[in-house]
Amino acid sequence: MSSSFSGLTNALASLNAQRYGLDVTGQNIANANTPGYTRQRADLAEVGPVPGISALYATQHPNSSVTVSGTSRLNDPVVDARARSEHGRNGYLQTSAGTLSSVEGLVDEPSDHGLAEQLNDFWNSWASVANNPGDAAARNVVLQKAAGLASSINETSAALGRVTQSVTQQANAATDQINTAATALAQLNGDIAVATATGTNANALADQRDSLLMKLSDLSGAQASIQPNGTATVTIGGQTVVSSTTATAVSLSPSNQIMVGGTPAGPAGGSLQALVDGLNTALPGYAAQLDSVASALASTVNAAQASGYDLAGNPGGPLFAGTTAATLSVVVTNPANLAASGTPGGNLGGSVALSMSQLGSSPTGADVAYRNLIGTLATDVQRADQQAAVQQAVTTSVDGLAQSSAGVSFDEETTNLLTYQRAYQASSRVLTTVDETLDTLISHTGRVGL
Amino acid sequence: MMRVTEGSASRASLAGLQADASRLAALQQQLSSGRQITKPSDSPTGTVSALQLRSQLKQINQFQANGTDALGWLTTVDSSLHSVTSQLQQVRSLVLQGMNTGTGNAVSNEALAQQVDQARASLLALGNSTYLGRPVFGGTTAGGVAFDASGSYVGDTGTVTRTVGPNAAIDLNNPGTATFGANGNNLFDLLTDISANLRGNPSALGTDLQRLDTQQISITNEQSLAGAKYQRIQSVQNTTNTNLIQLKSQLSDLQDIDLADVAVQVTSANAAYQAALATTAKVSQISLLDFLR
Repeated sequence: MSSSFSGLTNALASLNAQRYGLDVTGQNIANANTPGYTRQRADLAEVGPVPGISALYATQHPNSSVTVSGTSRLNDPVVDARARSEHGRNGYLQTSAGTLSSVEGLVDEPSDHGLAEQLNDFWNSWASVANNPGDAAARNVVLQKAAGLASSINETSAALGRVTQSVTQQANAATDQINTAATALAQLNGDIAVATATGTNANALADQRDSLLMKLSDLSGAQASIQPNGTATVTIGGQTVVSSTTATAVSLSPSNQIMVGGTPAGPAGGSLQALVDGLNTALPGYAAQLDSVASALASTVNAAQASGYDLAGNPGGPLFAGTTAATLSVVVTNPANLAASGTPGGNLGGSVALSMSQLGSSPTGADVAYRNLIGTLATDVQRADQQAAVQQAVTTSVDGLAQSSAGVSFDEETTNLLTYQRAYQASSRVLTTVDETLDTLISHTGRVGL
Repeated sequence: MMRVTEGSASRASLAGLQADASRLAALQQQLSSGRQITKPSDSPTGTVSALQLRSQLKQINQFQANGTDALGWLTTVDSSLHSVTSQLQQVRSLVLQGMNTGTGNAVSNEALAQQVDQARASLLALGNSTYLGRPVFGGTTAGGVAFDASGSYVGDTGTVTRTVGPNAAIDLNNPGTATFGANGNNLFDLLTDISANLRGNPSALGTDLQRLDTQQISITNEQSLAGAKYQRIQSVQNTTNTNLIQLKSQLSDLQDIDLADVAVQVTSANAAYQAALATTAKVSQISLLDFLR
């Protein structure tokens, strides 16, 4: 037989357990909008008789009690890991698309005032000289168009330089953010290890840990593995960045290589890798193509000029100096020095001016080089945009999946609230009933005939 | 079954709303700019084609300007040669009069000779006809005249070329020597001879008449050559005009929007956006709490 008072103990245990359940539900509702919060659940467990004690010594226990065995954190670790890897890819593609689209913003094509149109105007200004080689006004127009063309190319090159500069700054900022997050994670790992060892509730710490891991994935495509004690080990490009309480510093080498504690990391993903790839591949590629536009312009124009004679009959000199987009400049200042005639002697022949006006359709000319640049850039941007859009959709769907297990649902919490409330009320009734029973026993028993 | 929470539902609605809004914004940008291609990545191949078409358009515009200039040049040549021919007719009749008069009437021959001198001065002016300040019979000379006061050619043998269409570079001129004859035996020398012969040796006028006729033939030839070039340029210009219209319509197809089509798309995107907004507003208001008392 059980003790007379065991009913009271059981009812008390139940009241405590239900109240704990209410507390956890309240916490879930309170944190419904907290970023990174994972919903929790009070784990209630039945308490049976202590095993291994002979029935001879133990009382019969028809009813067992309840206890709070713990508080579960209801995330899905597999989905979380997948979300991190998709976020790493997303960070890479979104940042690449951003970098490329800022380069695309530098070229105003197709339009009435882009570089292509300026080239057309320049070639056409030569046709006017061919029609009227003696006209100083037509020659002046050529010089003006040439100067405008050179300064547009210079300006585009400088703007490309500014994009490179801003990407470098972004990469440095991303490195700083990675290091801050890694350091914070290492500290957190220490706290989690202690909490796990001492059996304290580490759920809040785990939420913080997952937030930091997500941030690291976005920034650097970091791979994380969760250890049995709840700490996270993080690698970037195959190099360990955070292990237990140690964080290794991430940095960029002078040649824009991601370094982890002095060792070069492999391809990592995330924003940082996109910025580094931009600095190492995409931006220098466009700069080289712009340089080839400038050098094609200078070489075709100067070669044609050298084959002709100016207004005074002297052999034509170069019109452009410099072979890179940054250094291209016009060296002729006197319009009479432009070579238009194909024969010496100071005549008004226009054959060279005529062939100058047709350099725009030269297969080795600046126009083709520029169209190549625009074509490459446009294709790159379009591809990056499409990839980024697809990856954004994938990431959103995986986030939704993670959120579907970790997010707080008010309907569910309200239902839990009802359940715990009713259970609490019922337990109180049990307590009252046992109390009344005992009252009958204590106060009214043995008073027969009194 | 996937668990749905308020958070995930609102995030999904928000993502949907943003997608609708960005589609609407992209369409409105097309509508307001009138362009399908507002940046190269909208259509990489379209952009490159548009650049090529624009370059061809500019070139054809220039061809047309060149053609107009060439026609002006040839008109000057034609009208000059026309006047030269009519002047030569007069000179011819003067020579015939001189031949008829013979040596009999020195006063009358002197008058004829003076008329020939006048004709020579006027023909010299015609030989120095200019188009935009350049002597049209002077080749590519930088000087202002093709023939000096003595009537000798001071121009050069350079050719004046105008490109009036793709692969249609047309030489506009022959040097003045081709039209008026080589130095020492050109039209002006002939007129000097005629004037002298009228005054002193009318018997030589018969030979002069033959020389005059030969000269007349070469001038007529040059005039018809100029006319032929004029026609050729006109026909090339007609072709380039057609080409211009085709290129413009191609470029427009490539870069301009179909206004009606985009307007309809904007309207339907707008409707979708409004529906999404209305639904989101209604759905998010309901929860279990509304039904518990």
